Amino acid sequence: MISRVAEHCFWMSRYLERAENTARVLDVNQTLLLDFHVPSEEQWQPLLIISGIHDFADPSNAEAVQHHLTWESDNPVSIASSLLYARENARTIREVISSEMWERMNYYYLWIQGPVARAMYDYDRSEFYNQVKRINELIYGIAEATMSHGEAWDFYRMGKYIERACQTARILDVKYHMLLPTPDDVNTPVDTAHWSAILKSCSGYETFHKQRQDLEQGTAVADFLIFDPIFPRSVRRCLLYCQEASHKVSGRKKNSAGNEAERILENLVDWLRLATIDDLVKAGLHESLTRVINTIHDIGHAIHRSYFDFDQTRVMEMLQSQTQRQS
Amino acid sequence: MSAMRSLVHAELNATAPSFLWTDYIPHEKAWDELFGPGIAPHTHCHALAQWLGNLDIKEFQERRKSADLAFINQGITFSVYSDRRGVEKIFPFDVIPRPVAASEWTLLDAGLRQRINALNRFLFDVYHDRRILREKIVPEELVLNSKCYRREMIGFEPPGRQYIHVVGTDLVRDHTGEFLVLEDNGRTPSGVSYVLENRVVMKKVFPGLFQQCKVRRVEDYPQRLRDALLSVAPASAGDSPTIVLLTPGSYNSAYFEHSFLARNMGIELVMGQDLFVYDNRVYLKTTRGPRRVDVIYRRVDDDFLDPNVFRSDSMLGVPNLMKAYRAGNVTLANAVGTGVADDKAIYPFVEDMIRFYLSEEPILKNVPTYICARPKDLAYVVDHLDKLVVKAVNESGGYGMLMGPSSTASQRAEFREKIQANPRNYVAQPVVTLSVCPTWTDEGLGPRHVDLRPYIVSGESTWVLPGGLTRTALVKGSLVVNSSQGGGSKDTWVMENGS
Repeated sequence: MISRVAEHCFWMSRYLERAENTARVLDVNQTLLLDFHVPSEEQWQPLLIISGIHDFADPSNAEAVQHHLTWESDNPVSIASSLLYARENARTIREVISSEMWERMNYYYLWIQGPVARAMYDYDRSEFYNQVKRINELIYGIAEATMSHGEAWDFYRMGKYIERACQTARILDVKYHMLLPTPDDVNTPVDTAHWSAILKSCSGYETFHKQRQDLEQGTAVADFLIFDPIFPRSVRRCLLYCQEASHKVSGRKKNSAGNEAERILENLVDWLRLATIDDLVKAGLHESLTRVINTIHDIGHAIHRSYFDFDQTRVMEMLQSQTQRQS
Repeated sequence: MSAMRSLVHAELNATAPSFLWTDYIPHEKAWDELFGPGIAPHTHCHALAQWLGNLDIKEFQERRKSADLAFINQGITFSVYSDRRGVEKIFPFDVIPRPVAASEWTLLDAGLRQRINALNRFLFDVYHDRRILREKIVPEELVLNSKCYRREMIGFEPPGRQYIHVVGTDLVRDHTGEFLVLEDNGRTPSGVSYVLENRVVMKKVFPGLFQQCKVRRVEDYPQRLRDALLSVAPASAGDSPTIVLLTPGSYNSAYFEHSFLARNMGIELVMGQDLFVYDNRVYLKTTRGPRRVDVIYRRVDDDFLDPNVFRSDSMLGVPNLMKAYRAGNVTLANAVGTGVADDKAIYPFVEDMIRFYLSEEPILKNVPTYICARPKDLAYVVDHLDKLVVKAVNESGGYGMLMGPSSTASQRAEFREKIQANPRNYVAQPVVTLSVCPTWTDEGLGPRHVDLRPYIVSGESTWVLPGGLTRTALVKGSLVVNSSQGGGSKDTWVMENGS
C-alpha cells in the first residue's frame, strides 16, 4: 500500500487509542479522589507528567487539569485533539477504511465538538469518560468486522498496540510520581487504593484479582501489567501483537533479522521475556519503565523509517541496477 | 393571471390545507421543471407530484431533516477557499427532485455525444494539422494565444486520440423549455460524487417514492469510468493496468469527491508526493517498494502537474511526469491541454466544430455569445452591460463574473475598464431566464432557478450518465447556482421510458 496512506492508518489508530487511555486515567483519578482527601496537586500532577506536560501553569487545580487533558485544542494529547487528529487521518484515507468506520468516527468527532458532549462532561463526568473509551472500542470492533484484514489492518493494529504498550507503561509509572505522605504508608489503604486505581485504569482490576494472590501487592500489579502473557493491555502482550502485525506487513522470514523497527521491537520483547519483575524492581521500577517507554519511542521512529519514509534515492539506485542487469 | 392563480389556490386550499404544494406560487416567466400552466404537473412528473403532494408539511420537514443529518454524519462536504478554519461545509441539498422526461433525455444524450466527439476532434486538430484554423472556422489567434493551449502537446497523440475522458457540460433551459449549452467543463470537472450521494440519501429518505416512479440508475458511474480509463491504458501496461486518482490533497475543495471516486472505483488515491518518475516511467511509493502506474485520473490542473514543465513552485505535481506522458508510458485523463476546448472564448465555435468535423447539425444549441476580442462585439458589450452576463474566459465556479441586470453602476464601471484593458479575457451573453424547480428554502416552498450538469465518460466508447448534477439557487430570483456562491443541489431524475 502507499507509504503515506499506511502512515495515516497507523496514526489514526494511535490517536484513537490515545483518546481512550487519556479518558481511562482521568476517570480513575476522579473516582480515586472521592475516597481520599489528599492534597489535590498530588492527585493531578502525575497525569500531566505521564502525558509529557511539564509546564502547566496550574497543576494543582483539578478542573484546570481535567479541562486541559480533555478539551484543550492547544494540547496535542487532549482527548478532543486526539479525536480530531484521528478523524483527520481517517478523512484523508476514507477510500481505505470502511464506510462504517468512517461514519462512526465522524459521528463521534461531531459529538465531541458539539453541546451534548459538553453537557455530559458537566453533569456526569464518569459517563463522559466511559463514552470516550467506548469510541475506540466500537471503531475497532467495526474495523474488525468490516475492513479487509490486509496491510491497512496490520498498520491499524501496529499503531494501536504500540500506543497501548506505551500508555500502560506510563499509567504504571504514575505510581512513582504519586508520592505517599510518608514511607510508612506503604500497604496502607491509601497505597492499596492507588494500586487499585492503576489496575482499574487498565481494565485489569478483575482479571488481576482472579489470578494473583502471591506477591506483595505493588510488585504484583507491576508484574501483571508488564509481563502478563494473556492480558490484552499488558506491555508484553501489546508488544507481541505489534510484532505480529509488523511481521505480516514485512513478510519477514523466521530467523531473519528483519527491518530496523523489527529489530528494536524484538530486542525489547526479548528483554521482557528474560527479565523478571524482581530484576526490574532492583533496577528501579521507574527507571525500568522509562527504558521501556524510551524504547517504544525508538520503535515508533524506526517504524516511520522502515515503512513510511520512502527512500526514493535508494529505490532509484535499485531500479537502475535492475535495468542494467536486463540490458 | 393573478386572479386565476388565487382561484387555483382557493381550490387547493379547500381540499388540502397543509400539504406541500398548497402554497406554491410558480414563477412568472421561467419554465417550471415540474408544473405546466395551472399547476398541472407535466406528464412525466405526475407520479412524483402526486406522491409529494400527499405529504403534509410536517412530515416533509421530518424527512428533510433526516436527509441533512445523513449528509452531516457521512461527512459529505466541500471546502470553500475563503474559509481557513472550519473548512468543511455541507452542500445544501433540496429533497424535491428535478425530473427529466425520457424523451428529453434521448435528445440530450445524443446532443452531448455529438458535442464531446467534436471537441475531441478539435483538440487533436489544434495539436496536429490545425485544419480548422487554416480554414478559418475558428480564429487562429484565439486558439494559439489561449492560456490553455499547451505547446508541449503539439504532435503528441494520446491513446485512442482521446483527450477529454470526463466532461461535465452545463446545460440550462430557457423560458420556452429548450435546453441550451452554457459551457463545457473539459479539464477536471467535479460534482459527480454529489449526483451519486444525493441518490443514496433520496432512497433512504423517500423509499416509497422510488416504488412509484421509474428512475434511471446513476450508480454505475464509477465502474464506467474505470472501464473507460482501462481502455486508454498504454499498450505496455499489460493485462491489469494500475489506475490511480491524483488529488491535490485533503485540503482541496473536492477532496471528498476524489476519495469517494477512488473508493468506489477500487483504485488508489494518491498525492503528487506518492509518485515519482524514473526512466520515463511513473512509480507509486508503497510500503513494499515501487509499483508501476499506467493510468492517472488526475484531478490536478495542468499548471500544477509537473514542476519541471509548468509552474515550478507546484508541490502538487510529479517532476518529469510530462516526459513519461510524452514517452507514452502513462496515460493522463483528462489529457493535458484540454482547456483550450472549454475556454469560454472558444465555446461560441463549438456548433461550427460540429458542422466542420462531423458534417452534422448541432443537436444542442449554445447560448448566443459575444466575444469581446472582436471589436464589434466589444462595442456592443460595453454599451449593454446592464443587460448581459459577462464572464472571464478562464474562470469557473462563478468567480470573475458580472450579472448585468442585478449589478450596480460602479460594478459595471469596474468591468467596463477590465474588459477594455483585456478584451480577449471576456465574453458576454444575454441573460437567460433559467428554468425553475419547486425548492424548499428558509422562506418556504418556492420556484428557484436550476441548471443541469450531465457527465460524459469517454474511453474506447462514450457513455452519458443518465442523470447529472442539478444545481439550484437558493435565493429567490437569483440566477447564480454555483456552490461556491451559496447554491444547493437536487437529485436529478431521468425517467425510464414509458413513465
